[in-house]
Amino acid sequence: MVKVAIFPPNSLILADLIERKGHESLALQKAVRKKVIDPEIDSPPMNISEEDPIKGLKYAAIEVPSGVRGRMSIIGPLIDEAEAAIIVDKAPFGFGCIGCARTNELSTFCMRKRGVPTLELVYPTNRDETIDMVNKINTFLDGLNNKEE
Amino acid sequence: MANNVSVNVCASTDLNSQDMDPDNITRMIILGPKAEVSESEVVNYIHLLGLPVTTKLTCYGAMVSGKEEDVLNVIKEVRKLDPYNLFSRDRGFPIGDPRRCRGHRYGPREGFHQMESEYKLLEDVSDALKNPKEVSLEKEKRMDLDELEQIFSEN
Repeated sequence: MVKVAIFPPNSLILADLIERKGHESLALQKAVRKKVIDPEIDSPPMNISEEDPIKGLKYAAIEVPSGVRGRMSIIGPLIDEAEAAIIVDKAPFGFGCIGCARTNELSTFCMRKRGVPTLELVYPTNRDETIDMVNKINTFLDGLNNKEE
Repeated sequence: MANNVSVNVCASTDLNSQDMDPDNITRMIILGPKAEVSESEVVNYIHLLGLPVTTKLTCYGAMVSGKEEDVLNVIKEVRKLDPYNLFSRDRGFPIGDPRRCRGHRYGPREGFHQMESEYKLLEDVSDALKNPKEVSLEKEKRMDLDELEQIFSEN
């Protein structure tokens, strides 16, 4: 079982396809779950604890807005944990972890920098492109199985 | 009104011990557009499994909450009902959490727009899973005029 980071980090399709192939998706919801039961935080991930922007310093400089650092404190550890990554680029507004374009850029940058096997795709706009995306993801995930063996 | 709105963002949570248990997880089961089972069938099936999980019927499918092992067992069994049209993903918030539940707030919950957007692709995704086939993404080109003239002249 390989831990696969995904972008957008809360994608249903990516998380589901990864799970179907027996791998573990590092979805944002898993990180949010840990925050939800933290009594310090009222409404994660909309607000954060004092510690979170400090943790985010590992991924973004002090000049970067605290919103980016706060988000990276949740997404960053998921990327660090990854053994593979799938990035779906050019997703329309409303799809994925929206709200902060700079966080999205930084997340994809961190994924590429990790040096783990990465599959980069473009968000599909029609039926053929969707089928092609699913084929590519499945082939990539099967390849991870072979590598593991 | 102001008091009601504050429920959305404040820690007025009424989570029980099960929800506060760090070993517990919540999963969403989402039916694709071509699903051959209904939401209520899925929920009834989960009840009949007799596992110690909490389940909730929703407009898109169902939510299941409980110990990780039990919930993953439920997902595994439920997928057998319609392997290519049932999708599942984690959910950060427990079932009925006032910070997210529509019963306690105005408008759709935050994750709804994401799901609505991805739902449009689910039909094609399930087709691709059911009948995998190679597709060509190359656009068809117009025939060159000289080539066309040559064909006509040959005939």
